[in-house]
Amino acid sequence: MSEKGEVDLTGAKQNTGVWLVKVPKYLSQQWAKASGRGEVGKLRIGKNQGKAEVEFTLNEDLTMIDSLGDKPSGVQAPRDHPFTMQTVGGQTLAVFTETQSGKEQISLEGLVVQRAECRPAVSENYMKLKRLQIEELSKPVRLSQQLEKAVTTNYKPVANHSYNLEYDRKKKEEGKRARVDKQQVLDMLFSAFEKHQYYNIKDLVDITKQPVSYLKEILRDIGIYNVKGTHKNTWELKPEYRHYQGGEEEEKETDD
Amino acid sequence: MASLGGSSSSSTEYIVRVPKNTSKKYSIMAFNSGDKVNCSSWTQARMERDMSNRRMYGVEETEGAAGSEFGKKQREEARRKKFGIVTREFKVEDQPWILKVNGKAGKRFKGTKKGGITENASYYIFTQCPDGAFEAFPVNGWYNFVPQAKHRTLTAEEAEEEWGRRNKVVNHFSIMLQRRLREQERGPDDDDEEGEKGGKKKKKKGGRGGDLRIHDLEDDLELSSDESDSSGGEDGDSKPKKKEGDVKGKGKKKKKKKRGSDSEANEDSDDGDFEGLEVDYMSDESSSEEEVGEEKAKSNKEAVPKGIDEASESEEESEEEKQNEEEGKEEEEEEEGKKTPVQTKKKRDSSGESDTSEDSDIDGEAASALFMVKKRTPPKRGGGRGSGGSSRTGSRPGTPSIDSASTSNTLRAAASKLEQGKRQVVGGSSESPAAKRLKMESSSTAVTTQSPAPSGKSTPQPPSGKSTPSSSDVQLTEEAVRRYLIRKPMTTKDLLKKFQTKRTGLSSEQTVNVLAQILKRLNPERKNVNDKMHFYLTE
Repeated sequence: MSEKGEVDLTGAKQNTGVWLVKVPKYLSQQWAKASGRGEVGKLRIGKNQGKAEVEFTLNEDLTMIDSLGDKPSGVQAPRDHPFTMQTVGGQTLAVFTETQSGKEQISLEGLVVQRAECRPAVSENYMKLKRLQIEELSKPVRLSQQLEKAVTTNYKPVANHSYNLEYDRKKKEEGKRARVDKQQVLDMLFSAFEKHQYYNIKDLVDITKQPVSYLKEILRDIGIYNVKGTHKNTWELKPEYRHYQGGEEEEKETDD
Repeated sequence: MASLGGSSSSSTEYIVRVPKNTSKKYSIMAFNSGDKVNCSSWTQARMERDMSNRRMYGVEETEGAAGSEFGKKQREEARRKKFGIVTREFKVEDQPWILKVNGKAGKRFKGTKKGGITENASYYIFTQCPDGAFEAFPVNGWYNFVPQAKHRTLTAEEAEEEWGRRNKVVNHFSIMLQRRLREQERGPDDDDEEGEKGGKKKKKKGGRGGDLRIHDLEDDLELSSDESDSSGGEDGDSKPKKKEGDVKGKGKKKKKKKRGSDSEANEDSDDGDFEGLEVDYMSDESSSEEEVGEEKAKSNKEAVPKGIDEASESEEESEEEKQNEEEGKEEEEEEEGKKTPVQTKKKRDSSGESDTSEDSDIDGEAASALFMVKKRTPPKRGGGRGSGGSSRTGSRPGTPSIDSASTSNTLRAAASKLEQGKRQVVGGSSESPAAKRLKMESSSTAVTTQSPAPSGKSTPQPPSGKSTPSSSDVQLTEEAVRRYLIRKPMTTKDLLKKFQTKRTGLSSEQTVNVLAQILKRLNPERKNVNDKMHFYLTE
């Protein structure tokens, strides 16, 4: 476990500088569609009369906007995006990565030296794009729609529900529960009480498959019925039969 | 490299790539500018998720046979679903990070995820590759890292206490020191310290606490009585403190204790209320605290109100009572216990004299065990009175204690308890006197202005006590009382002396009752003589 958690500090040591750029959603969507090596565009950094100018130009093939719905949008993403450069301020922003596959390794990639915002150059395209977005967003999430015909496929009358049939069959097959030897029942009970302390009578009937009255007789011998304070009225073993620190079987041996 | 036109502009173009392989997830680690974090100074670092929020639902309940029900888990789940309780999933990605820098002795940071960064815009990290192109990686999460304090901090309650004392406390360093010491103390004697803040134990140690009181800083004086009480509660602390000669610290601690119990019973008074109050007889109390110490130990058995009141009273009686104390400690406890409610009111009078006279009464009583029984009832009455007193002044639960200077918050608490107790109980013969007293007092309250000054009802004495012979024959009638009051101003005590139970044939209780009614009817004038409220009539 020494690997996990250990942070690889090479980026910090080398003082690798990176840029943190805020990119509009539609642009990141377009970038996701990039193919091949992932080339998405060109970044032009210029110095114009002392001031740095950064501009990003989107590749031509990535300007197609897909829209939801059937009709193809005639909208194109704007291509020019000047960057607004900002300083980091006093804040220290570090970039770290985690590798997800197999070995999890956290490494510090570097420090942010420059912050920037990618803004689209205002153009006709951009306006159209925005309009499209607004249209999509303004659609209500829920829609009331009128149906022509009433829905009749859900509930049909049935002679007897399949569930019911199954139930009847099961009952018939099981038959009345047969009483087995008391000792056997006791064994079953003790092993059950080893697992849990409190049992509902129904659950015990399920476990032991005995008729209720017979089971109650046996339970009266070895157990107590308590209205525990919590609603359920549950059965538990008598204290002399209990041994819950280890749950030893021999403790529960009884002689009937 | 395209270059644009223009005189002083040059530009270079770089290709931007967004790599497709997503094996690495990028996140931002943001530090506060004030923390002055320099990543290059880190020699080594460890970072892992903080899993403390994960609750193993299955493991929570007791695993194992004992105490478990069959099918409990399913039932619980079904129940939760029925009520629509939705428990949030535990997502590992959203858990905070714990970053440890430079090993054990280095800094620790906790990084909490900042929500909503990927909702409207995406962040990308642009790094420059060796080939000159830029690579852009999307940022998966933003974590704000804050340094974690390794030093001790105060809990919320302690912080509130300290805030209340901020004007008084000068030596701030000792705050944490005391806290640490207190924690040490708390280890060995948890029960002593914790549970008994407002109660008996305080008094038990009061004596010893009194021993340790070596100074009379103004601050301390205000709280002298309860200090001695409370300081007892911090024996271990007090002693080392004393040895250190950290006088202030002790004072503060005491205050702290006081404040702690203050918060329990303190309803209306604020910090500043007690500051300018008279403390002239505080010193008396303080000196007497020690003597009372042992006594208190015994009185622990008694009801809390009584016991606490004892503590406060004892200051005043200490001088006179000293001998008695040694002789018949038990008896005195009882007496004082009974006197207590009475005494509470007396203290409000701010007069030691009235107490003295009462003391003498009590002395007499001490002699005979018979009076013990009788005295049982007066305390209740006194309690009623006491509560009446406090009720009278309404928002004054704090002031009486300060007036008497002995009352600790516990006393106040006791008083208010008594008050409540008295208020609620209306039936019962023993209680009715108290109720009547209350009414009588409240009615007269309407007449008098609310002032902490003497209460006219300064306690009719436990009438049974006095064995001094009285000359007049005694039928307890209005005429008789009127006669007395016209003749000369008398205190209620004096009046009671006149109507001895032996003579009137009434029980002490009844005497008090009847006398109260008579006084109500007569509605005599009041005059303050020798700091005692006297009644008189002018006909």
